[in-house]
Amino acid sequence: MNRLTPRISHNNIVILATLLLLIVLYGAGSVQYTGFFSLQVFLNLFIDNAYLIIVATGMAFVIISGGIDLSVASLVALVSMVSGDLFAHGANAGTVVAASLALGIAFGAGQGYLIYRFQLHPWIVTLAGMFLARGISFLISSESIVITNETYVKLSQHKIHVWGQNFVSVSVLIALAVVIAVLLVAKFTFFGRAVYAMGGNEKSAALMGLPIARTTVLVYTLSGFCSALGGIVFTLYTLSGYSLHLMGMEMEAIAACVIGGILLTGGFGYLIGPMLGVLCTGIIQTIIMFQGTLSSWWTKIAIGLLLFLFMALQRVIVMRKEKSRNPVSSMNSPNSENKIVNL
Amino acid sequence: MKRQRKPLLALIALLVMTMLATACGGNNNGGNKGSSPAPASAETPSSSKASEEPSPSASNGKLVVGFAQIGQESGWRDAETASVKETFEGDPGFELKFSDAQQKQENQIKAIRTFIAQKVDAIALAPVVESGWETVLKEAKDAGIPVFLLDRGITKGNEDLYVSFIGSDFILEGQNAAKWMIDELGADAQVNIVQLEGTVGASAANDRKKGFEDAIKDHAGYKIVYSQTGDFTRAKGKEVMEAYLKKDKNIQAVYAHNDDMALGAIQAIEEAGLKPGTDIKIIGVDGIKPAFEAIAAGKMNVTVECNPLLGPQLKQAILDTKAGTKLEKWIKSDEDVYSGQKAIDALPNRKY
Amino acid sequence: MANLTASVRNIGRNPIIWPLLALALLMIFNLIAIPGFFSIEFHDGRLFGSVVDILKNASPLAIIALGMTLVIALEGIDISVGSVLAIAGAMGIFMLDGYPTWIAILAALGIGVLCGLWNGMLISILGIQPMVATLILLTIGRGIAQLITGGRIIDTTSASYTFLGKGYFLGLPIQAFLILIVFALLYVLKTRTAFGLFVESVGGSKTASRYAGIRPRSIMMISYAIVGACASVAGIIVSANLGSADANNAGLWIELDAILAVVIGGTSMRGGRFYLGGTVIGALFIQSLTTTIYSLGVPAESILLVKAIVVILVCLIQSEAFRKLFVPVGKKAIIE
Repeated sequence: MNRLTPRISHNNIVILATLLLLIVLYGAGSVQYTGFFSLQVFLNLFIDNAYLIIVATGMAFVIISGGIDLSVASLVALVSMVSGDLFAHGANAGTVVAASLALGIAFGAGQGYLIYRFQLHPWIVTLAGMFLARGISFLISSESIVITNETYVKLSQHKIHVWGQNFVSVSVLIALAVVIAVLLVAKFTFFGRAVYAMGGNEKSAALMGLPIARTTVLVYTLSGFCSALGGIVFTLYTLSGYSLHLMGMEMEAIAACVIGGILLTGGFGYLIGPMLGVLCTGIIQTIIMFQGTLSSWWTKIAIGLLLFLFMALQRVIVMRKEKSRNPVSSMNSPNSENKIVNL
Repeated sequence: MKRQRKPLLALIALLVMTMLATACGGNNNGGNKGSSPAPASAETPSSSKASEEPSPSASNGKLVVGFAQIGQESGWRDAETASVKETFEGDPGFELKFSDAQQKQENQIKAIRTFIAQKVDAIALAPVVESGWETVLKEAKDAGIPVFLLDRGITKGNEDLYVSFIGSDFILEGQNAAKWMIDELGADAQVNIVQLEGTVGASAANDRKKGFEDAIKDHAGYKIVYSQTGDFTRAKGKEVMEAYLKKDKNIQAVYAHNDDMALGAIQAIEEAGLKPGTDIKIIGVDGIKPAFEAIAAGKMNVTVECNPLLGPQLKQAILDTKAGTKLEKWIKSDEDVYSGQKAIDALPNRKY
Repeated sequence: MANLTASVRNIGRNPIIWPLLALALLMIFNLIAIPGFFSIEFHDGRLFGSVVDILKNASPLAIIALGMTLVIALEGIDISVGSVLAIAGAMGIFMLDGYPTWIAILAALGIGVLCGLWNGMLISILGIQPMVATLILLTIGRGIAQLITGGRIIDTTSASYTFLGKGYFLGLPIQAFLILIVFALLYVLKTRTAFGLFVESVGGSKTASRYAGIRPRSIMMISYAIVGACASVAGIIVSANLGSADANNAGLWIELDAILAVVIGGTSMRGGRFYLGGTVIGALFIQSLTTTIYSLGVPAESILLVKAIVVILVCLIQSEAFRKLFVPVGKKAIIE
């Protein structure tokens, strides 16, 4: 028990730092810019980033299991494209949603299978998956497809009033539901615990008798599912299918995970983190937009600095932990292998 | 354990402080940086001060304009940004909120939502794609903010969502390119054409292709023997052209969807031992300065101008709207086709 | 019979054979499908032809991939190479305005090494995961390149600088020699000094190498600095070839191709042994694939699709588990 307590508090500290940063940034924005301190600005963060929250949460699961999924952004674009194409052929909303989710699940499961069955590196498999998904969406059409389906349009423009005139979109509810569901899965299911164990050390997990094959495939399936759901939400967001949607978004999702305290070596991280990470980068973006004279590279540089600071924080925590456990080895070894042993 | 936690908390406090400092520092630097290319840098301090005052549009009567730009992917786009910035920052009656979306639609949507939250007086949008603007533009409409589209349109059927579209006609540009070529080489000539397409899916690429192909359809001698994407960049334009020249040198014309790709193709043709401009006619679109220089050097034949200096037209449109004048749905920008001596004469005056 | 199969299997175990096979297959395909693919002309004292072009256009990718091989052997990765390429190219062209060529080249190389050292510092001293550490520079890098160029495409007319991207030597493009030079330098480093051994050892197990008296930190620092240098050489080539620096587009997505080249070349992403020759072949394979696709006139839309399928196939062929599917169980028992 004594061994477990510090780990949880360390974990909480990264989350707390993110949360604190969120409040400070929001406060700074409110002081400096008119109209920043309004509920709607805050809610807009959720409306504009709902898809990213969903995708990043799925990504977090993969990262915790010790892998990575680079195909998420392309998969979102593919889902938007397939939806657009199906609607153009007269499908109804229910069919499209089902087809999108099935596509995501199949895509994710396929990647997971390749990774486990042939011992290929997740980087390479999901990289190929990224090319494949983007390539298929180009094949469907190189032009953007407008979606006019009534149900989708209605869902897209439906405002759920929270307080007075302030509103959120349907997508926000979906995103929050995903975060809660994933939190529950991680905490209360065998699968969730297996993912953490596998990310901590795959060999020990296998020796413990955990089903590595099934867990690997399931993790990537889950990420595929989240990407598909993110794709549906994004399709609602823009009401169009377009093969160039969200180029490079996989890196944003990974960045959100890092800022949200998910350790990239796997086995460690709290699944509310990605959402907070997304909100952080979202607030920075909003501040830069409110400022209104900044060039795009400042967004990149600000997010880069943020990444650096959070990683430094993570490192310090892990190093401290190592020091307190095993003073001799940590003196000269701030590397990942020792961390795995500790967990 | 308690001993451990204190320094950690201190570290976090430090982290947050640094973050705040960098965020603010970044803002200040950027404010100077962003406006330095514009001659109106004297206005910058006053405009950034204005944003700190409560409700700027009400207090000092300034018109606040939010401009959601696509990004900085080309010299053409930079010229457009500079034009808008110069126009509004040089005018004390206006305040410009500028947002750069790094070629991402979701960033542009976010920017528009931010503008709505800031209660700006007008929104200018250069949409990165045609589709997907209904929801957010409707919100702008509900908030009573007029929206102007710059240089690229949005999907047909949504004309009620914006006041005016200011910009060029990409299809017309494609047609003009074809027209020049047919006039130059003769209607009955046998011409093999290589087409360097823009980024797959971009509306400029789709329309310039469509306009060009429609215009040569009736001339049996004109054949597009090869069409491949060059991503609007010099490097790709060169690489694609190189690969094709290895296979077949029997081509008379290259039509590139922008000047950068045309310049890349020129290099490839030179390196293959042919003379661009004489052996192979080079047709580009945009009218950037290096293209004019290439025409002056005899390496390129023609560039179809696509005018990025839309700032003054945008300002006029906003003033007209505020005065209650009904505007045309499509305000076409002033454009021309430059070749030969005409291009050489125009060269000293090119701004971009 | 068993002997024969066994020797075939031994060849199959040599990791270089698979990329070589893939490249050979692609070339045979080209020989049949594209007339004139192998024809080489000689005029103006230069060689012209698709094959020469492949050498020329593969150079930035091959050089970056060579550097990348080292860090992948260390169980690391560097996804910032594209940004470093853009920074170095911007720096080179920027410095040409007012300084002689050699200073511009040194400045470009210097800033690349600096970027590499920054990455190396984050990874070895702070112990940050390589992928995330380099993610920082990937994000910031293009911003820095844009700061240098002032956000526009800058160009140069310096003949001595553009020679590095357009010049010919002994009838071959200069880039072919640059690949050779970088390869030779790294090969000497690998085989004639202890460095290569140290890299493989650290990549195999950090803990074990530390107990063996190797200092993983300095090995990592040096390796990331080498990648940075390679990326800046590539940046110089790209900017010299075009005579201009484009902060936004230069080297976009090259990190993905470089990693692919390394993996196709037989170096495992799990660290350990590395194969410089395989990497060069991998890079040539990727570039040949691109050139083939262009020459075939495959519609622009399906390029990514073709690439994805080829990548999956090549990686599957390299996978032991996949190959076992095709060796009948009975025979396998005999061999082993």
